[in-house]
This record gives sequence, C-alpha cells and structure tokens, in this order.
Amino acid sequence: MDWTLNLLLLTLLLATAIAVIRIRDLLAAAIVFSAYSLVMAILWTQLRAPDLALTEAAVGAGVTTVLFIITIYRTVRKED
Amino acid sequence: MRKAIMLLALAGIGVMLIYAVGEMPPMGDSGNPDKTHVAPRYLEHGEEEAGASNVVTAVILNYRGYDTMGEVAVIFCALCAVVAVLGREKTGLSRTHMDVSRVKASVVVRTTVRFLVPVIIFFAIYIILHGEETPGGGFQGGAIIGASIILFTLAFGLPESTRKIPLKSRVPLESFAVIAFLAAGFTGILFGANFLTYIMPGLSEHAAETIRQVMMMVIEIGIGFAGGIIFTSIMFAMIREDKYELQPDSS
Repeated sequence: MDWTLNLLLLTLLLATAIAVIRIRDLLAAAIVFSAYSLVMAILWTQLRAPDLALTEAAVGAGVTTVLFIITIYRTVRKED
Repeated sequence: MRKAIMLLALAGIGVMLIYAVGEMPPMGDSGNPDKTHVAPRYLEHGEEEAGASNVVTAVILNYRGYDTMGEVAVIFCALCAVVAVLGREKTGLSRTHMDVSRVKASVVVRTTVRFLVPVIIFFAIYIILHGEETPGGGFQGGAIIGASIILFTLAFGLPESTRKIPLKSRVPLESFAVIAFLAAGFTGILFGANFLTYIMPGLSEHAAETIRQVMMMVIEIGIGFAGGIIFTSIMFAMIREDKYELQPDSS
C-alpha cells in the first residue's frame, strides 16, 4: 500500500516537473510548479522529514507561487 | 552531427548514473555513511548538548549554527536587494491593479479569509514556539505567517494591509532575526564557551536550564517573526504600482 502511494507520487512528481519545463504559458507553469511543491511536500512526509515538508508546503507551494505570479503579471505571460 | 554527439554524451551520463544507482547502499541500511559519522552523536547527545528534543532543531540551532546564521542573513539581503530596486510602499496609499480592478474579491472570499487568517497565524505561532519538541520552528512558522498576510492582502487590498501592518512597525522587526541570532551566539562566547552555546558553564543547573530555554525562544521567535515580515515586505514591494497611488488629500 505504502509502495503504490510512493510510486503514484513519484510519477506525479516527474509529470509535473516535465510539464513545468514544457508549458509555454508562464502562469500555467507557475501553478503547475506549485502542484509540484505540494507533491514534494507529501513525499517529504513519506520520507519521515516533517520539518522539510512544512517548509516545502509553506514556501514552495505558498509564498514563491505568489511571488512568481506577481512577477509574471508585471512582465510578460508568454515565453517565446 | 551535433545532435549525435549530444545524444552520445547524454547516453554516457545516463549509463554512469544508472551504474551509480546500482552501487548505492540500500535505503535505510544501518551501515550507511549517513548513519555512521555524526548522526549517532546528534541522536544520542542532542538533547543534553543542544537542549532540544527535536533533533532537527538541535542541528539547525546549535550544531550547524553558522549555517543558520548565514541563511538568516541571506533572507535579509534578499529583502535589502528588493527594497533597493523597487522601493517601499506608502502606508495606506499604495495600491495594486487588483485594488483598482472592477472585479472585487467576492463576499465568500473575504469572509473565508477573515475567518481563516487568525487560525493560520495561531497555527504559525504554535509551530514557532513548539519547534523545540515537534517538527517546525522559526523558518516554517515565519513562512506561514508571511503566507497568511499575503492571503489577507490578496483579499482585502494593499491599502488595508499596509494600514494594519504599517512600515514603521515592520522595519525594526525585519532585522530582528539577524540581531537576535548574533546576540544569542555571542552570549556564549562572552561566557567563555563556543558560539551558540546555550548551556552556560559555571551556573547552577536550574539557572542554566532557564537561560537555555529563554535563548532558544528568542532565536525561534526572532527567525519566525522576522521571516514572516520579510516575506510580507518583499511581496508589498513587488505588488505595489506607482501609477495607482492614492492622493493623500483625497482619502
């Protein structure tokens, strides 16, 4: 059971990581990157590192996403 | 031709990586290098030497204290760079494009945020103060405080937010983490021990224990609140827009 959950999470992690690189719309990429952080946070708890999971969830999924979105709004949304 | 060379190089790196993974010791094995050098000492003596039952806190705030001081300084430098380039907002006057947008945050969003923010800040304070024993600590709690203020700003707008947390109350807090860390670190040296020693030599056991707890609290609270305020200040500096500034007399 534990094994299948980890496999699912790792697959999701790889999929989101590749999606962040491939997506040309930067706003979508920032949101997918926040999903990546959330999956990573769950993986940290699976690896018995709750301190890191808290940091990843608060900083990775929360604060940096907002900063990315502000930056995208003030620059350009499409990558060329 | 270039593509062929690139593929060859990538394939070579891939083969080496797969080979290295095959050579790795099994995960969680008790003979691994990560469990034979410093880890046993941290686990066995962490509580008496560093004074924190959460080993991660013991490592962050004592064994690797210099690293943490560097991290605190890095966050502070990031704030300095952002403020130097973008400048500060004007309390109660700075607005963002969201504040002048015709689509306001809906009642549902505002009510949810109003109920949620106090709970989030309460949780953050618990994480900061309880970092000694449970997962968490200054950095994590600070990030959660910053996130809750960001949430409030997104729902209620920048003027409301800067009126609640004005610039003049944020400025002293921003540098508090570095100052608290240096002060606590050099107290140990003044008493003739090492940097960031909490247990002072030459004191009775009871007094030493009290001093240790007070110093750890000061550092945790310093990192926590300063971290949260620094995140907030960076966000305010990035989100404000000069062209939408309110005139002081019109409000």
